[in-house]
Amino acid sequence: MIKSRKESRRWIKRVWQHKMFYFFMLPGLIWFFIFSYVPLYGIQVAFRDYTFSGGFTGSPWAGLKYFQQFFNYYQSGDIIRNTVVISLLKLLIGFPMPIILALLLNEVRKIRFKKTIQTLSYLPYFVSWIVVVTLMQRLLTPYGGPVNELLGAFGADPIQFLNNPTWFYQIIVGSEIWKNIGWNSIIFMAAIAGIDQQLYEAAKIDGAGRYRQMWHVTLPGIRNVAIILFILAVGNLMSAGYEQLLLLNGPATASIGSVLDVHAINSGIREGRLSYAAAVGLFQSVIGLILILTVNRIARKISDVSLF
Amino acid sequence: MNRRWSVFSVVNYTLLTLVGFAMIYPFIYILAYSLNDGKDSMQGAIYFLPRKFTLENYAQVFDNARIWKAYQITLMRTVLGTFLHVTLCTLMAYALSKRTLPGRSFFTFYIFLPTIFSAGFIPFFITLQKLQLINTFWVYIFPLLYNFMHIIIIRTFLQGIPEELEESARIDGYGDFQIFLKIILPLSGPVLATISLFIGVAHWNDWFAGAYYVSNKDLIPVQTLLQEMLSEAEALSNSMQRAAQQGGQTVGSVSGAGATPESLRMALLVITVFPILCIYPFLQRYFVKGVMIGSVKG
Repeated sequence: MIKSRKESRRWIKRVWQHKMFYFFMLPGLIWFFIFSYVPLYGIQVAFRDYTFSGGFTGSPWAGLKYFQQFFNYYQSGDIIRNTVVISLLKLLIGFPMPIILALLLNEVRKIRFKKTIQTLSYLPYFVSWIVVVTLMQRLLTPYGGPVNELLGAFGADPIQFLNNPTWFYQIIVGSEIWKNIGWNSIIFMAAIAGIDQQLYEAAKIDGAGRYRQMWHVTLPGIRNVAIILFILAVGNLMSAGYEQLLLLNGPATASIGSVLDVHAINSGIREGRLSYAAAVGLFQSVIGLILILTVNRIARKISDVSLF
Repeated sequence: MNRRWSVFSVVNYTLLTLVGFAMIYPFIYILAYSLNDGKDSMQGAIYFLPRKFTLENYAQVFDNARIWKAYQITLMRTVLGTFLHVTLCTLMAYALSKRTLPGRSFFTFYIFLPTIFSAGFIPFFITLQKLQLINTFWVYIFPLLYNFMHIIIIRTFLQGIPEELEESARIDGYGDFQIFLKIILPLSGPVLATISLFIGVAHWNDWFAGAYYVSNKDLIPVQTLLQEMLSEAEALSNSMQRAAQQGGQTVGSVSGAGATPESLRMALLVITVFPILCIYPFLQRYFVKGVMIGSVKG
């Protein structure tokens, strides 16, 4: 940090020249401090007996008490398992779907048709989970819902889809895909559009048909994007989607549907056990961080593509 | 064109048509349901068009004081929240787009760091409590003032504006703020539209804050109202419908006209979804670009 006087004077001059830009940034710097860094500092309530008057730093020290409480809770094993199972299902089934959609759309030559399908596929992304769940309730109800009426036309008995453990995971994964497939395909469409057309020409000359071109040119072309998005998705493995699960999980499905996020929100905000809930949340964040770092490293070793 | 390709083509078009149908059909269905007489709808068998057309459901929804209030809250937070978010993020992005700004990479890292490791709900909630934002209208606004990804998207866009434009404006005697207002802003239409859509939709769709940070009934937005109706409505409509479908006098008891909680709920849903449906297709060109920048830089 030792600078010559001339250098530091020049630096100060440059800062002064940019004073207006610091002024533009100032509210943002304060905002990020209050809404991001103060909560980060506040993570310590997980190690304290939080009281409102004591706040982040004044509440008495509790050590690992709340972590023990969580791991001794008879359902904690279930909750962790459910979180991982639901995230994995979403990842394994949900992740390839936008890629498949992008590949199929890419083969369409009629531009108007392609644009229409794309526009329609973005629609569910723009509505809230409340709307999605309300739609599902209405469409899937065994009492006069169109889906069950269709099934009935084929002679099937009405099915109780919601609040039913048998259908719970299908509903969770299905609604997740329905809501996000179009939106998530945007980035893959962009990656496909960025592939050098000469590669296709070369493949054609080598006698490759549609499928071989897809396999040898298109898929490798979107590989890097897919790896990056996969790393990010694995980093989120410990959060199974709290909005969706807050709304779709009920008493009937609790044993397979309780997840970490929802457990933290309910025990913290609803029951007021803030320190306990903060401990659950911290556990979740730390595992998430470890996951993302691990997958990032593996990806870098195997494929030379990594997030950071 | 060989034969195998045309088989593929047929399958592909069929598949994609089904996808498109699956995306739009639920909305067609609730539109039909909301335009149909509530009691009549309980017999089921409504698919694309209302059977017994009525505007009664909408009339009752618009007549409901609580729904009006909630709609006002949603509109207010969306308009105010979007305006503030876009203004503040753009100012910050403009500063960060200056390559000559001392400390630029430090500030970028400063706003990036919280995206890798978040504190979780509870410390955030406690912060809101300490700021005395809980149970006020401002709990909808303040937490959504900035967003790292949005700042980066705007910054990337601004960096594409030729610097000569600014230089010549500076020679004409414009100050930094004037350049921002008269040169930068008018050229940023597409990216501002994109970010407005993103944040506007986030405000419009947020039910969580209303459900967990607010208990005052006058401050509940529409989405939270819908959420409160979820569980009530399901139980109610199922039992009504069960009664309607069983019991010999089915036709007699359901043939009366009038709205039901379920038909009102569908009307409310249509009103909630409609504004978004009208806006997003027109911004498609822009937000597709925004998503690309966001993911490349992220």
